[in-house]
Amino acid sequence: MTAEKRFHPFAALHILRKTILVYLLPLVQVLFGRNWEALRAALLQALALFALLSLISWAVLHASRWQLDAKGDLLVRWRLGLRLDRTLRVGAVAALTIDRPLLHRFAGASRIKLYPAGQNRPMTLYLTRQDAAWLADRLLPVEQPSFHKPRGGEKLALAVLGANGLSTLALLALAVRQSRSYAPDAQTLAFAHLSQLAAFAARWLPMSTAWLLVLGCALAGASFARSGSQVAHYIVWGTDTQLGSRGGLLRQYEMRLCRRELNYADVRRSPITWALHYCPVFVTAGSCKPELPLFVWREGTDLLQELLPDIALPPDAAPDICRRSLAFFLPSGIPLGLCLLLTAVSRYTLPALTVPLLIPTGVFAALCAAAGVGYRREGVWLRNGQLTLRRQHRFHLHCVCALHPDLCLTAAQSPWAVAAQRTNLTLSFPGRLRFKVRSVAWSELKFM
Amino acid sequence: MTEYELLRTALIIPPRARAVLCFWAALPGAVCAPFVFWQSLHAGILFCLLWAGAVFALRVRACSFTAALSPRNLTVHAGVAFPVTRQIPRRAVTGVHLLRTPLLWLAGASVLVVHCPGGQLLLPGVPAVQADALAAILTEEPS
Repeated sequence: MTAEKRFHPFAALHILRKTILVYLLPLVQVLFGRNWEALRAALLQALALFALLSLISWAVLHASRWQLDAKGDLLVRWRLGLRLDRTLRVGAVAALTIDRPLLHRFAGASRIKLYPAGQNRPMTLYLTRQDAAWLADRLLPVEQPSFHKPRGGEKLALAVLGANGLSTLALLALAVRQSRSYAPDAQTLAFAHLSQLAAFAARWLPMSTAWLLVLGCALAGASFARSGSQVAHYIVWGTDTQLGSRGGLLRQYEMRLCRRELNYADVRRSPITWALHYCPVFVTAGSCKPELPLFVWREGTDLLQELLPDIALPPDAAPDICRRSLAFFLPSGIPLGLCLLLTAVSRYTLPALTVPLLIPTGVFAALCAAAGVGYRREGVWLRNGQLTLRRQHRFHLHCVCALHPDLCLTAAQSPWAVAAQRTNLTLSFPGRLRFKVRSVAWSELKFM
Repeated sequence: MTEYELLRTALIIPPRARAVLCFWAALPGAVCAPFVFWQSLHAGILFCLLWAGAVFALRVRACSFTAALSPRNLTVHAGVAFPVTRQIPRRAVTGVHLLRTPLLWLAGASVLVVHCPGGQLLLPGVPAVQADALAAILTEEPS
């Protein structure tokens, strides 16, 4: 049994972050009072609440401990008035992740998330960097690993970032052009004669739409950059009992997945992966569904089989699409129709808005094309005793192999699906992770 | 009842258990109906019609319910217009809840909830003898 250890002070900050809405409550009275006195009183109350909650968080931090017992099980104790103990058996850990954002790295802290097998809620602990590494090595030790350094992650991230940067620049140019043309021209003046509202729309709508598109593209770029920095300089390893990867430029990230508890492997294909021949491979275990891939696989190499020897990918054969539901096209088809209608109307009423509207129309048209791929390619197959499936979601074609034997299946039909002998199939994995394949022919579900 | 007999028999909801389920479903509507009638007569009639429709749909679903045990899986079919088939592997079962109220006792039925890591399966109003046997079989160690 190890000595009792304390949590990192960031655990108290984590509690305080959860109470951030409480400080806003006193500010509600300012809405009614609308004067400086009410604001001053509300700020004082918020300050008092902050001081009280800080005190409670500090007390919780100092009253909490963790340790490993003689069997290696993790014991977490929270004692503040009432006693709350939680035990996690060493053999019941399906996965763990260690996250070190920039701020955590400066403070020498790590956030470690432990995912118990069969449960859908992880246990989050804030520890010092050394403690987190030590605990991870006790719960899921890395024994005789074979390390790999795939290079595809950076390439894929740079390609996505480059495409995003170019599209942001193009949109920026469009927005600047739209902003310049807002001297009150003859058309705006004509609208002004009609009504104030029409004049306002004619003046501001095209410009604000263009700048909104720039903002959306820039935010997506920031998200891609964040993901890209996380997959930079990463290594992936496999042992007899686990899979893992570690990397990150500013934000360091590590995950370890127990092989016995793997749910599924998801090889995601998209237009960019088709062009570069690199596919991100996402692997889940327990309720751990990481937002980052375990590794990036260059198609045709042995890395996938080396790390996941049991994997079987869906066959290239097209599924039976006779009388398949057209519901595939609804999520993108309805907005596409609406955008086309708006574009056609704007061509005659507000020509300056037509070009900004063509951009979402193009995006929805591309999504409609992606839905067409899903319509032709989605399906379920049993290969070498493994259940494999293909599922289109937005621009990604998920090629999934179920790796866990304890798989629950749900087939739900509508009256139209009954007539067409088709069904939606939902696969439920341990940890409540679900995958749904739409409009599958009953004749292809012989395993049910 | 033995496992062999269960493997050869499909579990259905008997008429008396169906009546209990419909009674449970109708009870909240009967409690709420006077308050809706208090608002207006038309709203009350509409509410009663809608609730009666929901209870009828539940009865139809209960009539179509079948559960079948196989050496590897437990499969449940239910529904006529919107049929649903659920299948869970027997080795994945982590626990079973058995519920019997006085009304269900009179009807000779039980409600069985089968838990597994991927979700849970509800078998409402299956005959008590079969429910007990199924619970015992599902919770025993796989050989």
